[in-house]
Amino acid sequence: MNTIPMEYYLLISAFMFSVGVTGVLIRRNAIVVFMCIELMLNSANLALVTFSSFLGDPAGQVFVFFVMTVAAAEAAVGLAIIIAIFRNKLTVNIDEINIFKW
Amino acid sequence: MINEILNSITFIYPELAVSIFLLIIVLVDLVFHKDKKYIPYISLAGLVITGILVLNQIGITHFAFVPQLSAVKKYGMMTIDPFGSYFKLLVVVTSILIIFFTIASEEVIDLKERLGEFHALIYGMILGMLVMISASDLILIYLSLELLSLSSYVLAGFLKLRERSSEASLKYVIYGSVSSGLMLFGISIIYGLTGSTNLYVINSLIQGPQINLFTLSFSSILMFVGIGYKISAAPFHFWTPDVYEGAPISITAYLSVASKAAGFALLIRFIQTGFTSFISEDGYWTLIAVFDWQALLIAISILTMTLGNFSALWQDNLKRMLAYSSIAHAGYILLGIAVLSNQGLIAVLIYFFVYMLMNIGAFYVVMLISNKTGSENIDDYDGLGAKAPFLGVALAIFLISLTGLPPTAGFIAKLYLFIALIDANMIVVAIIALLNTVVSLYYYVRVLKHMYLTKSEREQENITPSIGSLVYLLVLLIPILFFGIYFTPIVEFARSCVSLLGI
Amino acid sequence: MSIYDVIFYLFAILTIGSGYLVVTSKNIVHSAFYLLFTLFGVAGLYVLLAADFIAIVQLMVYVGGILILLLFGVMLTNKVTDVKIRTGTIHIIPAVIGTGLLMGVIVSMMLRTNWKSEPGELPFTTTYGLGRILLTDYVLVFELLAMLLLIALIGAASIARRDNE
Repeated sequence: MNTIPMEYYLLISAFMFSVGVTGVLIRRNAIVVFMCIELMLNSANLALVTFSSFLGDPAGQVFVFFVMTVAAAEAAVGLAIIIAIFRNKLTVNIDEINIFKW
Repeated sequence: MINEILNSITFIYPELAVSIFLLIIVLVDLVFHKDKKYIPYISLAGLVITGILVLNQIGITHFAFVPQLSAVKKYGMMTIDPFGSYFKLLVVVTSILIIFFTIASEEVIDLKERLGEFHALIYGMILGMLVMISASDLILIYLSLELLSLSSYVLAGFLKLRERSSEASLKYVIYGSVSSGLMLFGISIIYGLTGSTNLYVINSLIQGPQINLFTLSFSSILMFVGIGYKISAAPFHFWTPDVYEGAPISITAYLSVASKAAGFALLIRFIQTGFTSFISEDGYWTLIAVFDWQALLIAISILTMTLGNFSALWQDNLKRMLAYSSIAHAGYILLGIAVLSNQGLIAVLIYFFVYMLMNIGAFYVVMLISNKTGSENIDDYDGLGAKAPFLGVALAIFLISLTGLPPTAGFIAKLYLFIALIDANMIVVAIIALLNTVVSLYYYVRVLKHMYLTKSEREQENITPSIGSLVYLLVLLIPILFFGIYFTPIVEFARSCVSLLGI
Repeated sequence: MSIYDVIFYLFAILTIGSGYLVVTSKNIVHSAFYLLFTLFGVAGLYVLLAADFIAIVQLMVYVGGILILLLFGVMLTNKVTDVKIRTGTIHIIPAVIGTGLLMGVIVSMMLRTNWKSEPGELPFTTTYGLGRILLTDYVLVFELLAMLLLIALIGAASIARRDNE
């Protein structure tokens, strides 16, 4: 069944990772930044599952299980903080929140 | 299998104690809605018990949680050794000091009903730090780092009504999540290269001939990004000033000492366990030739020191200035690691002990003054030498120790660092560090000038600290002055704790 | 070209295309839905890699949990008909160049490394193996994860709750 070589999966993972990093750098809305972070985490997960499958080692899949849970917890906390900011300032645009000031 | 797990539980008593007390705090918070004043004392009791359990562990060197189903049955997921126990003791002592800090801080007293959650989150941080310090498996490292980070994000933004607080929290979350995402990608590549997530197994496997060095370097650098964010190394330090300024001051003090200590312990363990192939007679490490780790560490530490010191020169907010100063100190500590020798490690251990005392002390005085005058701006410190004589003297001693002048313990810490540098023949780097210390003198002394030499514009009443605060400050001041003169006990203790569990 | 290859290419294009559109779409709600398709695509790839348990967990946790949470966030912090405009063209060209470089480096690295690969029979279902290893070898990590979820729960509730002062 495995006629697709390992590198193809890794290429998808690489593409998703790079796109995610770019998204974090150029998007100005905090929620879209979170979506790009999820994209990055998914790319790492895909790489881990690929390696686990081609090595025959279940440790990679167990790791992905943990990472998914951590990502869920992080998303929950991140969105709670965004909601707290939105209540104070009525905006979630990173530029207006003065995030990158010196 | 079950035997292995039962045996390993005896090695994680401190972490078990912290978890049990976390649950107790959550339950007490739930049961007693109105009366929250006992919660800090429960936290203190829990920390004292954890401290005693850590002290019991100091002599032990052992693996815990050895995976039975994998191919290699020798190395465990957690490593208990004197190095780890020293840092755990440091974290526990810092936590005890910070709980006393929170009892005195008005920002925390104003929390009223949310005090239980505040302490529960602090316990979450402690659990994350304790596991991070002794973790030797990449999965456990990632998970404990995330536990520490998640609790910190929430604690940094805990004062919801203050705008700076929630901004700080958002910036922290975004930076932290991106860094941990990068670190996870690095971990996945290392796993793919070696087929294992245990640092010891990785060490033996990357010495094999068929490992692609570029891939290994790339993934190690990605992992270093994740750890570097935690220790505020440049260029990953951009979150530090805003978060330290916006967070409640007790959390700022906690983050600047304990979180950094755990991050550095992780970095040292990562480098020594994962990448060291051989330790020579006089204690110099030989790293597996992946890429020039030493040059990278030296470059980053010089960048960190310089950025921290030069940015602090312009700061008027005292919390922000202390934030940049803690970045600079992270740079000095990184130099101690960059030497790649046991001597440098001893210097790092001594430096952390002294840094804990002086940083918490400086933040405590800033907190007391901010309780009274409601401001952290340096112009409001004018004439404080007359209005609050004891606080003025205390802050002066802490600032002199932070600069590294005799006869304070800060001088001893820097001295050992420079001795380690010179012994490793890194003279140029030592000179750069010395110049940085001279630059830092300016902004520390500037506070003293405002306190003693500038007359204040407005009329202020005298600030008399309470008995509790006096005792607290004396507990921090006396070791700084005592160990500045008679420093052999710390040096001997650090020397005995340097050994990590070998390969 | 067996049917499995066709399915792989379909899911690959779904994942890559949706991933690109998440970042470049101007409307936030569109971005959220493209993220949905990306997560579906990744779940499909997991099935092709014989990680059936992880694929279902991905669907449940990521799509059914995190994405819904993100949509809540989007709805609570925006007027839904708002069209978010990207920041000016200044940042885009360096970002594209940076991405291209990063992707080039990672891709070349992935292609040139000879990865360890053990050809063997893939297990039919992974659930038994995962369950066993989760409660014996990785029990410490499992318990720590439980603590992390407790802390996240307390923290998120504490921050997002409206104080009744």
